[in-house]
Amino acid sequence: MSADHLPEHPDFLWRNPEPKSSYDAVIVGGGGHGLATAYFLAKNHGMTNIAVLEKGWLAGGNMARNTTIIRSNYLWDESAAIYEHALKLWEILPEELEYDFLFSQRGVMNLAHTLGDVRESVRRVGANKLNGVDAEWLDPQQVKELCPILNISDNIRYPVMGATYQPRAGIAKHDHVAWAFARKCDELGVDIIQNCEVTGFLKDGNRVVGVQTNQGTIHTEKVGLAAAGHSSVLAEMAGFRLPIQSHPLQALVSELHEPVHPTVVMSNHVHVYVSQAHKGELVMGAGVDSYNGYGQRGSFHVIEHQMAAGVELFPIFARAHVLRTWGGIVDTTMDASPIIGTTPVENMFVNCGWGTGGFKGTPAAGLTFAHTIATGTPHELNKPFSLERFETGALIDEHGAAAVAH
Amino acid sequence: MAETATPANPETLRAARRSPASHLAPTFESGSVAGTVALKEIPFQTMVGVRVDRASDAGARLASVTGGLPAACGEVSGDERATTLWLGPDEFLVVAPESAHDSLGGDLVRALVEALGDDPGQVVDLSANRTTFELSGIRARDVLEKGCSLDLHPRAFRTGTALATEIGNIPAMLLKTGEDSFRIFPRASFADFLGRWLLDGMREFASPEVP
Amino acid sequence: MLLISCPNCGPRDETEFHYGGQAHVAYPENPDALTDRQWAEYLFYRDNTKGAFAERWVHSTGCRQWFNMLRDTVSYDIQAIYKMGEPRPDANTTAATTSEGATK
Repeated sequence: MSADHLPEHPDFLWRNPEPKSSYDAVIVGGGGHGLATAYFLAKNHGMTNIAVLEKGWLAGGNMARNTTIIRSNYLWDESAAIYEHALKLWEILPEELEYDFLFSQRGVMNLAHTLGDVRESVRRVGANKLNGVDAEWLDPQQVKELCPILNISDNIRYPVMGATYQPRAGIAKHDHVAWAFARKCDELGVDIIQNCEVTGFLKDGNRVVGVQTNQGTIHTEKVGLAAAGHSSVLAEMAGFRLPIQSHPLQALVSELHEPVHPTVVMSNHVHVYVSQAHKGELVMGAGVDSYNGYGQRGSFHVIEHQMAAGVELFPIFARAHVLRTWGGIVDTTMDASPIIGTTPVENMFVNCGWGTGGFKGTPAAGLTFAHTIATGTPHELNKPFSLERFETGALIDEHGAAAVAH
Repeated sequence: MAETATPANPETLRAARRSPASHLAPTFESGSVAGTVALKEIPFQTMVGVRVDRASDAGARLASVTGGLPAACGEVSGDERATTLWLGPDEFLVVAPESAHDSLGGDLVRALVEALGDDPGQVVDLSANRTTFELSGIRARDVLEKGCSLDLHPRAFRTGTALATEIGNIPAMLLKTGEDSFRIFPRASFADFLGRWLLDGMREFASPEVP
Repeated sequence: MLLISCPNCGPRDETEFHYGGQAHVAYPENPDALTDRQWAEYLFYRDNTKGAFAERWVHSTGCRQWFNMLRDTVSYDIQAIYKMGEPRPDANTTAATTSEGATK
């Protein structure tokens, strides 16, 4: 495998315009979710006089730092609906965006290592099937057939007792996804403004009417927040609170290897998730650092723990090397489900709380958040994911399916 | 305290017991390097958890049974009857030989229970909670340092002090009993893991030193 | 890896500790009297400060005691460690002095 097999980039991606003095809507956060939101605002709702403000470089936050896993095997009806919708969009987006971002439906396995895991997993497979999500329960032998390098022997602390498997799940090249959305946004007239940090909001009473940035004041009728780990900071500027906590989440890659890992393997219990990128790196994710952090880095023992888990499950990795590690800032909620909807501030909307699993949700976050911003009311798919659920108690507990414990 | 079982003959009890690392005894012996580093289990020590305010009357009564209660992290007190380790500001671990246990003819637990009386506090027989490893020899510190990030240099970690910490990623008490000898108190369920960890750490010292 | 100075045991690796989230959040005096909104605030809403943050930690592998810590959530610098029940000390007094000094 070599870089020769990667598709070529388009000649042109996007302009770098100066911000205008006013827009119909402003999206704060130029990551995957912000760009997808702008794309669907322009495509589905005809809103093209809009801007995406990014404080750093485009898609340089969690969009550049995730482990690119895409799946929809969540437990509850509400989650299955939104994540499965996202997966269906992933299936058509390369064509729609005219950009091959290497969406590879190589399947995702979630391993079970305890009887509790097995019960939870089998339950989830059943729930998935009822919701039209492709899901299977595999015994250890079937696990081994799909991923021969996995250690299914019983001489390890937590032997593999089986796995859930979603064949349509997989990975995609995250940077290319961002560039695909950005290029289409630009084509549709959306202004993508990088190095533009929001420093405050202009309000008329309880209604937001503009944003203050390091590139000047921008007037706007509507504001959509899509800033992941920094959502609380923005909410505080706007005068409300969000029930989220920002934690560092780390991942790493090895050097390039020949293809050895045909699928994606996730393990909640011994805690590591592994795939092999198109170029050949082994991509592995860890658990969150326990403490709150905005530092885009975490503690080394988390990496050590993750490597121990990786080598136990994949003895062949023992002689691979860690090439790079990094951290992102994930916005976790108490029920491990996102928040997409209205806020206490009029004309301000929020998409956050995706925590450790935002990448897979990108298209559905964009679609539903665009609908919410354009119409002022949530789409059917994001109605249950409102901020109000923390008051009504209608939580959507996805700690089992979320894969990264927090 | 209600009697829940018919008192058995102490010798029958002794014969029925297996210590948490008993299966490793031959490996500990063959893995020890004479004159360099040695590992063995000291099974079935009597251990009693005590929680009490040191400054209270009950604290004073308990101290008279144990030969003092240590005042701060690292401190160890005791006499020939028992050694008492500091676990926290109001928490202590009393360690005594096997024969001190009430079921084997001793009276340590009863004496502590009586000393506490009805005052606020706790005396709990924890003899089965942990086992004891003895790691000794001129390389003992080198072995420990592979899995323990405390400063174990003699100027920082003195003979006669004890610390609760992590060794090989598991929680354990570490007591320094002599210049080159340590006692480690892992919980019983970790004994196998820690025993093998220490053996692995000892392996290099069985080979001639690479100049 | 954070190096945390336990008030009882001195500096120890972060792995010996567990995190307890935001400090100084009192249980409501009269939970029955709260509105759903107020109860949600108590149950699910915690500060998510970028900067100096007062939080609880417990030295689980050592003395098993809880304590409070003031830590910068960006630099991860530990600015103060203080007892449970004590009020939060002033945040990062050194930095404040420096910036004030610069403007004078």
